[in-house]
Amino acid sequence: MTKLILNRRKFLNTAAASGAVLASPAYLRRAYAQGGEVNIWTYNDFVPEAFKEQFESETGIKVNVRLVDDQGKQFNLLAAEQPNPTVDIMTVAGHRFLQFIDSDLLAPLDTDRLSNWGKINPTFSESDWATINGEKWGAPILSGMEVLAYNSEIVSPEEAQTWDTLFSETYKGQTAYVIQDMMSIVMLMMGYDGNMVAYLDDPAKAAEIVEEAKAFLIEKKPLVRKYYDGGAEVQQMFVNQDIVLGHSWNGPAAALINDGFPLGMAIPKEGSYGFVYTYNIAKNCPNPDNAYTFLDAILSSPEIGAAMTKASGFISTYKDASNHLSDLEKKSTSFPDEELANLQFFRAEANEMKYGLVDPAVEAIKAA
Amino acid sequence: MTRHNRILLSCFYWGFVAYVFVPLILMVTMGFKDSKFIGFPIKSWTLDWYASVFADSETISAFGYSVAIAVLSTLISVVVGTWIAVLLEGRKFWGRAAIFGMTVLPALIPGIISAIAFRIYARYLGIEPGMGAIVWSHAVHNVPFVVLVVMARLSTLPKSQIEAARDLGADPLIAFLRITFPYLVPAIMGASIFCLLLSFDDFVRSFFLGGYEPTLPVLIFAKLKSGMSPEINAIATVALILTAVIGVWAERFTRRMNKDS
Amino acid sequence: MSYDASARQERGTVAAHASDRTFWGRLASWAPYRALVQVATASPRRQFVILAVFPILWVLTQHLGPMLQMLRVSLTDAYPVAANVEQHFTFDNYVRFFGDSIFWMPFFRTLIFAAAFTFCTLVLTYPVAYFLARHVSPKNRMLLLLLLLIPFWVGEIVRTYAIMILLGNTGAVNMVLRWFGLIDRPIPFMYTSFSMGVGIVYLTALYMLLPLYSALEKLPKSLNEAAADLGAGAWTRFRRVTLPLTLEGISSGCTLVFLISTGFYATPVLLGGPSTTVFAETIAGFFHVAGDEWPTGAAFAVIMFLAALAITAGFQRLMSALRKGDTK
Repeated sequence: MTKLILNRRKFLNTAAASGAVLASPAYLRRAYAQGGEVNIWTYNDFVPEAFKEQFESETGIKVNVRLVDDQGKQFNLLAAEQPNPTVDIMTVAGHRFLQFIDSDLLAPLDTDRLSNWGKINPTFSESDWATINGEKWGAPILSGMEVLAYNSEIVSPEEAQTWDTLFSETYKGQTAYVIQDMMSIVMLMMGYDGNMVAYLDDPAKAAEIVEEAKAFLIEKKPLVRKYYDGGAEVQQMFVNQDIVLGHSWNGPAAALINDGFPLGMAIPKEGSYGFVYTYNIAKNCPNPDNAYTFLDAILSSPEIGAAMTKASGFISTYKDASNHLSDLEKKSTSFPDEELANLQFFRAEANEMKYGLVDPAVEAIKAA
Repeated sequence: MTRHNRILLSCFYWGFVAYVFVPLILMVTMGFKDSKFIGFPIKSWTLDWYASVFADSETISAFGYSVAIAVLSTLISVVVGTWIAVLLEGRKFWGRAAIFGMTVLPALIPGIISAIAFRIYARYLGIEPGMGAIVWSHAVHNVPFVVLVVMARLSTLPKSQIEAARDLGADPLIAFLRITFPYLVPAIMGASIFCLLLSFDDFVRSFFLGGYEPTLPVLIFAKLKSGMSPEINAIATVALILTAVIGVWAERFTRRMNKDS
Repeated sequence: MSYDASARQERGTVAAHASDRTFWGRLASWAPYRALVQVATASPRRQFVILAVFPILWVLTQHLGPMLQMLRVSLTDAYPVAANVEQHFTFDNYVRFFGDSIFWMPFFRTLIFAAAFTFCTLVLTYPVAYFLARHVSPKNRMLLLLLLLIPFWVGEIVRTYAIMILLGNTGAVNMVLRWFGLIDRPIPFMYTSFSMGVGIVYLTALYMLLPLYSALEKLPKSLNEAAADLGAGAWTRFRRVTLPLTLEGISSGCTLVFLISTGFYATPVLLGGPSTTVFAETIAGFFHVAGDEWPTGAAFAVIMFLAALAITAGFQRLMSALRKGDTK
């Protein structure tokens, strides 16, 4: 499918290989001294605290971070605020791009203003989903995927090789997932295209498939402990042993592993989806200059990328970021090749149809 | 028989006390846990989480924001509520019951419905989500409590005092300001503190009417949704101590006032 | 100006002169103020109108207004109205509720939960109120009551979180049970209707306790003694004397707690699980997650409000019928 898929393995290999250690550049010594502020909507841990402090002290620009836990919610918030948004930079998952662009919520990214654009691994910065209507719309920062995470003291790695385990009686009341994400995976489990691109011309078929996935999840509802929304929620449930197995993004799972928690993760054989988080500039944002200053600064060093990986557990999109990771961190952010072969990326082409069907289905599953 | 009853009931009472206190005590304790994750047993202890509350600009600004909202909304509630109380108490006129019904309405509407109604109305009035909208919704929501408290106090005001003042030539406004108002002060103080706490603790209205900045309960909720950590315990404990101290003080204050009168 | 008013004005001037130095005196004799007061108090009727206009406007626009606007929005097909979209009158939002059974589950669940939690609160707080009102000396009464009030000054979110710490798998209850060797594996209290119930009862207990307490406090001790003299046992005395005479307290406590319970949003989100989705979450979804559908959300809120009102009204009628039946 996308270039991203083709280059996936290569990228991960590069990430694992050691390269020249980049000295932390004096990216801020130019003393912008712009002052003012920059407003960012992002996930927990996507702006490293040390970086934020350094940035604030050296530029005088105050960084206001508002935590978001849901792409749909973020979209609604921004749509409600247009044409005068309060946000400058937001964090959009790559496959959600189109929705934001179609609604005219994002400003195209002027990469010439980012002297550090080249420090992003081209696998991400130059891939086809990143360019829409001939423009770049966001700076890739972290990449992630949907995985099956499990408490390795209770669940065996073999069991984690299939999504079926998530719905088995054995682990009744000890599982959790994000319904929205699970809908795509269930479609994949059933042998359909969870991106729904294949059914763009056949809305009836698409509706049928969503209905089937919905019925499946409603049927399995008695088995699940909790539907959750945010990565930290699933971490907490693992730690509390509320669950022993769950769908998760690799980031929160990896962060737990790095903390020494007995957790494993797998890309099951039925396959799974990957995605890339990007920093985007909102259209008509209040502080565009500060936003570019911030973006350029955060892209400036692989160490910052590594810090984001350490905190969030997601895989950095920066060149050579892995040089700054410990062995455990490297391990928790890489997967065996045979598992990666089952991974495909979320695609945006059919999003309008897909989420038009999936969002009401999610509400119905919750209500059932 | 009665003796047994008494013992049984007193056990029940102390059991209930445990029910309301133990969770809070646990929460305060958990704030000292030296680990990123919530849960027992606590193996090692630290003061870091509490220390970081006072160093975290986000928490401090949410705190200040909540206090500002509480003070502003209380001022509005108290003025409006007292005015309504003066109109309603001791007067008979056509439609009084209807006005009284409408006055207490905001206090009876279930939280989520009240929040939704305010959100729609704020949009209708053109109030942007944010501080103004929150202050307004808290003010409206708290008016009924002021009215009820002030009316109760007003009903005990000796009519002769007002009449004496009027006979001495004071016009109604001056009579109100010099006789009625001082008499109402304790009730107004009590109601104010109640409103302050209601506003400070309110989540659902602040959540639906809030803009970029979170109030303290909204911040705690957001942090809870993005993972429990002893940091939240520390923040919640500081909020807890503050509200409990003000609450107890208010309670004693109102009691003293009731004794005086 | 009527004779009475002008005479009073006359005296007013005298009184004002007498206390010229005070602020009030100066205010009363300040010409513009006097003119204003004269106009405002020209007749009792005018005085009343001036006093009444603002409160009436306020309750109409601020108290009733939001509810009416919500009702209006619930009958339209688009809100907030975009620039080039026309708004139409429609019942579709209501039809949607009655036409799609997926919304019924959370709706009835909410009402059933609220009723059940209200009942639990009543059963739990009645003995407490009874103890305070009947078995504690008046001197200690306030102190013991105050003790219970302290936790209730703490906000909804903080107390909900405290319950999470109590009931979690690594929470206090499970830890204690494990200590005593009663369990090997933690009991999953969280994300169930049980954890939600514990949380909601915790949040609402005070609203039940206070009406019960004041009803019980008013009850003359002599009544019970008289019943005892007539040979009634403790249980009979309670059933025939105490309970009927506190029905009013029960009625207002239950009404309050029921209404509050139906309106919780954060507590079910934090303590509830997949099988406890309440209507508040469904309503909020129309404003937050699944695309903004305000009119539908408004219609659902109206439906819920009317249902809650109908139930409490029915309940109160039942209680007053019971009261009448008993005093006969």
